[in-house]
Amino acid sequence: MIKKLFLILCSLAVLTACVKKEEDGIKIGIGGPMTGDQAKMGMDFKNGVTLAVEEWNSKGGVLGKKIELIVGDDQRDPKQAVSIANKFVTQGAKGVIGHFNSSCSIPASDVYNRAGIPMITPASTNPQLTEKRYPGVFRVCGRDDQQGKVAADFVTTQLHLKRLAVIHDKTTYGQGLADEFKKFIGDKAEVVYYGGIVQGDKDFKTVLISIREKKPELIYFGGIYPEGGLLVRQSRELGMDVPFMSGDGVIDPKFVEIAGADSAEGTYLTFSPDPNGIPTAKAFIEQYQKKYGELGPYSIYAYDAGNIMLKAIEAAGTTDGKAVMDKLHSMEFSGALGNIKFDAKGDVTVSPYVVWITKGGKFTEHWKP
Amino acid sequence: MLLQQIINGLTVGGVYALIALGYTLVYGILELINFAHGEIYMIGAYLGIIFLGIFTASGLTQYSLFLSLFLTFIMSVIVCSAYGFTVEKLAYKPLRNAPRLNPLISAIGVSIFLQNYVMLTQGATDKVFPHVLPVTTVKFLDVTMTSLQIFIIIASILLMAGLHVFIMKTKTGKAMRAVAQDKVMASLMGINIDRIISVTFIIGSGLAAVAGLMVAMYYGLVNYSIGYIAGIKAFTAAVLGGIGSIPGAMIGGFVLGLIESLGASYLSSEYKDAYAFIVLIVILLIKPTGLLGKSEGQKP
Repeated sequence: MIKKLFLILCSLAVLTACVKKEEDGIKIGIGGPMTGDQAKMGMDFKNGVTLAVEEWNSKGGVLGKKIELIVGDDQRDPKQAVSIANKFVTQGAKGVIGHFNSSCSIPASDVYNRAGIPMITPASTNPQLTEKRYPGVFRVCGRDDQQGKVAADFVTTQLHLKRLAVIHDKTTYGQGLADEFKKFIGDKAEVVYYGGIVQGDKDFKTVLISIREKKPELIYFGGIYPEGGLLVRQSRELGMDVPFMSGDGVIDPKFVEIAGADSAEGTYLTFSPDPNGIPTAKAFIEQYQKKYGELGPYSIYAYDAGNIMLKAIEAAGTTDGKAVMDKLHSMEFSGALGNIKFDAKGDVTVSPYVVWITKGGKFTEHWKP
Repeated sequence: MLLQQIINGLTVGGVYALIALGYTLVYGILELINFAHGEIYMIGAYLGIIFLGIFTASGLTQYSLFLSLFLTFIMSVIVCSAYGFTVEKLAYKPLRNAPRLNPLISAIGVSIFLQNYVMLTQGATDKVFPHVLPVTTVKFLDVTMTSLQIFIIIASILLMAGLHVFIMKTKTGKAMRAVAQDKVMASLMGINIDRIISVTFIIGSGLAAVAGLMVAMYYGLVNYSIGYIAGIKAFTAAVLGGIGSIPGAMIGGFVLGLIESLGASYLSSEYKDAYAFIVLIVILLIKPTGLLGKSEGQKP
């Protein structure tokens, strides 16, 4: 009896598998941290791309086929990112939007490059990603060397500070950003402390006490918001009231929630300009807010990345990776962020970073270089 | 700076010690390493957020912060103890006479189950502990402490002292010691072994709940995976002090906290987690039974 039941179930499984094969849409992968402490970023990705795909599907899809999304959870873990990348390849994805962390995007890009699949990351800002010169790797965000420079300029020319402490979370993104910042500071100010913390740790007081001894005038952090929030909170608990500065990984409402609005007050963050100030983004923002609520920092990038990928496929007239990559390199795209064009490396030709400030628990644009 | 780091290490160490007690109590009686213990601590942290949320929504927190926190502690301890009690009854008791490896595997299974259960019911993202506590910092000499740090150090020492008195002076405590020495003999003397084992799990889980709640308040951030690393650290503390020894777990916890804190400040913060384990290896090489442990053969 049980044997029979098993057989029936097996044949059913095979049947459904066959049925699925037949409707064969164009598959696009979304890779990012869908669970874990950075899950919010992954969800923003998913929402942004889903919105773009739904718009295309309601207009009849691309090349006459519906677009199907496959979501892969890389758990912000490089090893997991590689296995997700391989999964996308075996499932026949024609393009990938992702990943979030540079430490995930870089190893995953090797896999996509071998398989000849184009990838567009909405958020990985580490320079190394595109320095490998893979023909199919693109990003719609800026690069940490641009970001680090803006931060360094702001600190030296606007705040005129002389003693700085630099911390990073030892990840490709965090350490990369911190190093770029340090490089552009050069001899314009003294870096009195430079060191790493462990991502996922909760107690940073030991590090902060060592930093306090050095009496810095500003703490710069390369990393993501959970650690950023805790660092700010714990530094205030230790009675340190020096300003805190960080990059795009920290600009998230959760940062304020973790740090507490009082502690987060006056924190400087480098990020691209406010989407609310971009005229072309208006329609997207309305749609997004209606469906998913508040905009995440990278929602708009994910949306544009999705649209660009689909436009390139449409223009190429095929899902062949090589043809799509050529289109991505040669075309100019108009998205919610404005006009986007990729250079030979796959970076955006203009990447405007500005300095934001945290005021009353909200982020506002503060300084344009 | 040294004094500041010591205070810091003691805060963290107090939490480790409280969790380590749960490991050591259970090991003393069942010779089982209860790998699900870290998860009980994590559940304690979540329960704190949930109960405090309920009390805040019902207006109790606004009426009296002290009462609300007090009730949050009590409720978390009760529910966590219930978790510990149930885990023992369901996952360990049926395996009591099985080979020693079986309950160990069962413990790992419970740990994975509880982690995923919390992840699915509470979500995978970080939960932020409500900012209800006024952060008051106390300054003396060159040391800055928050009121919460003082509370954690004092509360953990008081709880440990309480536990010590309970084990040494009460009838149940005496029975626990008897069961730890020899289960068969203890049962011949009319001690209800099942009851004593349940009490052990309840006490251990209650202490873990307090530790979880204090950590949630201190760092303000909780997620479903915090039990894992905290569990490993507390287990290290228990082994460091000599597993099965109650004073050993307390000392082990504080020593571990201090090592981490001082190592991170004077050597390098990047390898903070490694110091604890390096010390563990050294201790195991030099004195395999831990600081206060006695070798199996001559268990008192």
